[in-house]
Amino acid sequence: MNIVFLTLSAIMVLGAVLAVTLRNLVHCLLALVVFFLGIAGHFFLLKADFLGAAQILIYIGAVAVLILFAIMLTRNISGTEGGRSSLGGAWWLGVGLASSLAGMMCVFVRRSELVTKLPYGATEEGVVKEIGKLLVTDWVVPLEIMAVLLTAALIGAVVIALEEEKKR
Amino acid sequence: MDAIYQLIHDYCPTMPDWLALALAILLPIAIVMGVFLTVFALLTWVERKALGRIQNRRGPNRVGPVGLFQPIADGLKLLTKEDIVPNAADKVVHFLAPVLVVVPAFMVLAVVPVAKGFIAVDLNIGVLFALAVSTASVLALFMAGWASHNKFSLLGAMRGVAQVVSYEVPMVLAAVVVLMASGSLSSVSIVEAQRGLTGWFVCKPWGLVGFVIFQLCAMAEVARTPFDLPEAESEIVAGYHTEYSGFKFALFQMGEYVAAITMGGITVTMFLGGYLGPGCDLPKFGWLISACWFFAKLGIIVVINIWARGTWPRVRVDQLLGFAWKLLLPLSLVNIVAMAVWHFAPNKLVGWVESAVLLAVAIVALVKINAGQTFEKRSYRFTS
Amino acid sequence: MSVPLGYYLMLGGVLFCIGLCGALTRKNAIAVLMSIEIMFNAAILNFVVFWYYLHNGALTGQMFALFAIAVAAAESAVGLALVISVYRHYRSVDVDEMKALKG
Repeated sequence: MNIVFLTLSAIMVLGAVLAVTLRNLVHCLLALVVFFLGIAGHFFLLKADFLGAAQILIYIGAVAVLILFAIMLTRNISGTEGGRSSLGGAWWLGVGLASSLAGMMCVFVRRSELVTKLPYGATEEGVVKEIGKLLVTDWVVPLEIMAVLLTAALIGAVVIALEEEKKR
Repeated sequence: MDAIYQLIHDYCPTMPDWLALALAILLPIAIVMGVFLTVFALLTWVERKALGRIQNRRGPNRVGPVGLFQPIADGLKLLTKEDIVPNAADKVVHFLAPVLVVVPAFMVLAVVPVAKGFIAVDLNIGVLFALAVSTASVLALFMAGWASHNKFSLLGAMRGVAQVVSYEVPMVLAAVVVLMASGSLSSVSIVEAQRGLTGWFVCKPWGLVGFVIFQLCAMAEVARTPFDLPEAESEIVAGYHTEYSGFKFALFQMGEYVAAITMGGITVTMFLGGYLGPGCDLPKFGWLISACWFFAKLGIIVVINIWARGTWPRVRVDQLLGFAWKLLLPLSLVNIVAMAVWHFAPNKLVGWVESAVLLAVAIVALVKINAGQTFEKRSYRFTS
Repeated sequence: MSVPLGYYLMLGGVLFCIGLCGALTRKNAIAVLMSIEIMFNAAILNFVVFWYYLHNGALTGQMFALFAIAVAAAESAVGLALVISVYRHYRSVDVDEMKALKG
């Protein structure tokens, strides 16, 4: 087993657990950023450099900042929940469901023949160029759809967030 | 790294392998950190001297010859100061923020080719890595402002976040033309693509526009003076680092200056031909000459920064964001089209003229559109 | 690197379940969105892992991960806009309190 893999995974799982359990939303966000960084680290380990950089650029540079603004706009700035429980009524049901699903997944993975599979051979260095070429040849339709989707999401988000302002 | 490893092997073949490897890894890091920290210390002195001259005073002149040891004195003073943490502060986040401000700034240095064949790691996604990592400084900034539990800190942090996020977009789009021209994301191959007499990307119409956009965005990204709203002294004390003192404050200053230097390094690499220059290919002292070229170009960027700081007033928030979204963003999009026109032109001259005309028309049109608008009177929602 | 595929799959599964747990139990809508981001990332990690271990010189796994990241970004933008809109209406982001079907 690889020590880098283990450390990175441990940090990541810790970040994820803290992100869903901490009470202060800003602390949750910071734990989430640790988790995002861990994912990016795994991408670098898996020789998907471009995805790793994209992950940092999009998730830490954009999504985390978005969540940050949402927290700032909806809460008192300290980010705490003001003494009330942060969990819903039937929290034990959710925890039970999730942990049993996790257990099941681990068991199934253990039983699968893929479990000891090793990497399919080294990936060459010039993957970035290849991705660029594929984006404008084979994947050009998904790319265009993605462009439309992002534009729609952008306009939609602005409209949804603006709507109530006018009525008041 | 491999080159240094080879060098160590050649000169002391008796050295154990792991030690040679460790040295080969640590040596470039030590050199890069050492050189850039020296540059940082010098830069604070240069900046204060130059600003002094612009404002018709002498600047620091007490410590050492012409005040040259002023940075050392400043550093000692800040080190010996008491470290005050506000009672209401979020202790852990408050402690982490200044550390995290410095880390991205130094991480970007890893992909800046300082001299011919001297780069810490030649990633094949170099430029993207630099842009991605420099964005991550937003969070450190926010952490500092939020953890202090101070109105001014939070205001400064939110301003900083809004500013960095807005300027990130035209910055990346301005970088796209360079990637289109060089066909690579690796910083070394970008530099190598700029060989030749007028090979530097800044000598081309799209390159010039890209360079100006990139430089402005870089200045906004590291909050240099015309864009230093997050730490505007006259409005919000010192912005996000109001509640920091002693060494943590020094770390903030260091992060800011090192980020300015590294952004300058990226600008030089992408638009000004990096380490290229007459004599950079000489077999013996090529690396030294190319390093001199790199630092000379970096010096030009630094002078531009200081000059802008000394002569421009601070902009308003609405002006700042309007400038990014209404002028720089459309211009950088037109710039990409201009690059495509250049690329598909039948010959060099036609391409030059066509893209130059396109960009000139776009700039005139955008300035005209933006000039007519007046800012509406400010209304306050929460005061009666 | 010699980590067998199974460990990566388990890591992805565990991360997904942590996200699921958060999405099911948290009351704050923003926290729920954050948990959903965790689930998204676990799935994207699996795409890349499968690409790394099973690719045949094709880049489909990476491309899919790239598009998934873009979709996730759009999703979070719209989701957070909705949260802000709901907050304006109810003065709260508590998902337990959003039970009106009308108005």
